[in-house]
Amino acid sequence: MHAMRHTLEPTTAAAASPDCLGDDAIASLADGTIDATGRAAALPHLGACARCRGAVASVARTLSVPEVSRTSRLAAGAFPRGWYRAAFPIAAAVGLLVLVRPWDNRERAPNRHRAPTIEAGEAPQGVFPVDTVDLAKELRWTSVAGADRYRVTLFDASGQVLYERQVADTFTTIPDSLRLSPANEYLWKVDARTGFDRWVTSVFVRFSLQVRPPR
Amino acid sequence: MREWTGKLDQGRPEAAWELFLRRYRRLLLATIRHYAHDPDAVMDAFTWVCDALRENDLARLRRYTAGPPHRARFSTWLVAVVRNLTIDWYRHNEGRRRLAADAARLPRLRRRIFEYVFLEQRSHVEAYELIRSRDNPELSFRAFLAELRETYRAVLPGRGGNVLRELGRFLPEETNHVEPFEGEWGDRRAALERALRTLPEVDRVAVLLYVVEDVPASDVARILGLPNAKAVYNRVYRTLATVRDQLSRAGLGREDL
Repeated sequence: MHAMRHTLEPTTAAAASPDCLGDDAIASLADGTIDATGRAAALPHLGACARCRGAVASVARTLSVPEVSRTSRLAAGAFPRGWYRAAFPIAAAVGLLVLVRPWDNRERAPNRHRAPTIEAGEAPQGVFPVDTVDLAKELRWTSVAGADRYRVTLFDASGQVLYERQVADTFTTIPDSLRLSPANEYLWKVDARTGFDRWVTSVFVRFSLQVRPPR
Repeated sequence: MREWTGKLDQGRPEAAWELFLRRYRRLLLATIRHYAHDPDAVMDAFTWVCDALRENDLARLRRYTAGPPHRARFSTWLVAVVRNLTIDWYRHNEGRRRLAADAARLPRLRRRIFEYVFLEQRSHVEAYELIRSRDNPELSFRAFLAELRETYRAVLPGRGGNVLRELGRFLPEETNHVEPFEGEWGDRRAALERALRTLPEVDRVAVLLYVVEDVPASDVARILGLPNAKAVYNRVYRTLATVRDQLSRAGLGREDL
């Protein structure tokens, strides 16, 4: 498709026209929050204007950068400032409740049915990349029965999160902005959501890129 | 968001700015860092972005808060604005000087390619035509593509980071197939554009985003409201097959796509 890219490559960067999309339309297309009517109105311009198309592509790529998506969630208040200060007392209270178990009356109802434990659930397995690979442009894993969402996380060898994404499918593309180096080792895992706030997690998969001899 | 917009509504832009910056400083820096890797450039661009946002008592932010109901989340809108401002900083200000300094170590032909493609933002084909007309009439398109690839490889890992990707186009792939150039180029482009114009909007934009802009399929799906990346792959490959058929009827070969 490289010939098509050269052929359709826009000529000198076009100046903005009055029809160009505003920042709000560009942002809502990039994050997928635009409604069907707005999208239908924007598409003809997006098909004709390389400047706006490039802007939407660029913002979408930026939103996929882990540091940007994390700080964006923080700023939007997804994790309210100081939440961690409340986390310890809450965890202590939950721990105490688990130990005391005032609701536990198993002796009075010994034959009650129970759902399978979380640990008993089938876990997803990393399929690609594993060990040493030539190229890693996407991450693929096995599906889990009943899972409606997968959360995939890619780490570097020091455990720092490089990329995290939630998808409904059993693969995701590694953004081009994330440059993996043959000099490093990477780890990734995938969590499958099998019920309300119930996730099963794969084992960590380790991989690295094949070192290519210099040309 | 209420805290700082409340101060804006009270006519206290300085207080609003302090609250805004406390909340969004990290997001501003993370976005700028995506485009510029050099720490000095990040801080200079951050200052430029802050100055632009503070201009005229936070006029940009005020336009957002006073505007009609918004479709995008504020944080995404802010990412779009900061991206524009950061690229402006590179194009028009100190950033341009830094980029030119980075390119100074390149051989003459690659420096020329850098100027045309990254600083003047000309297309690869335009850059080729200019170099042939001004500097090197004997330069073949194959040799130009090889030099172009080396220019991208030399500058992309440097201090400019992703901003060069924004200012440039796409890394030319290594291939044994060399496209025809003289005469046929314009015809091919016209035929391809004609074929694309016959497609439904969503198919055309899917092809342009995935093939030309190199956006990952999962992001294309989000932009176009398609269910997942697979739907994008299916749509793009089906559309390309249709376009190839049209082009072959117009006398252009499969290798032209």
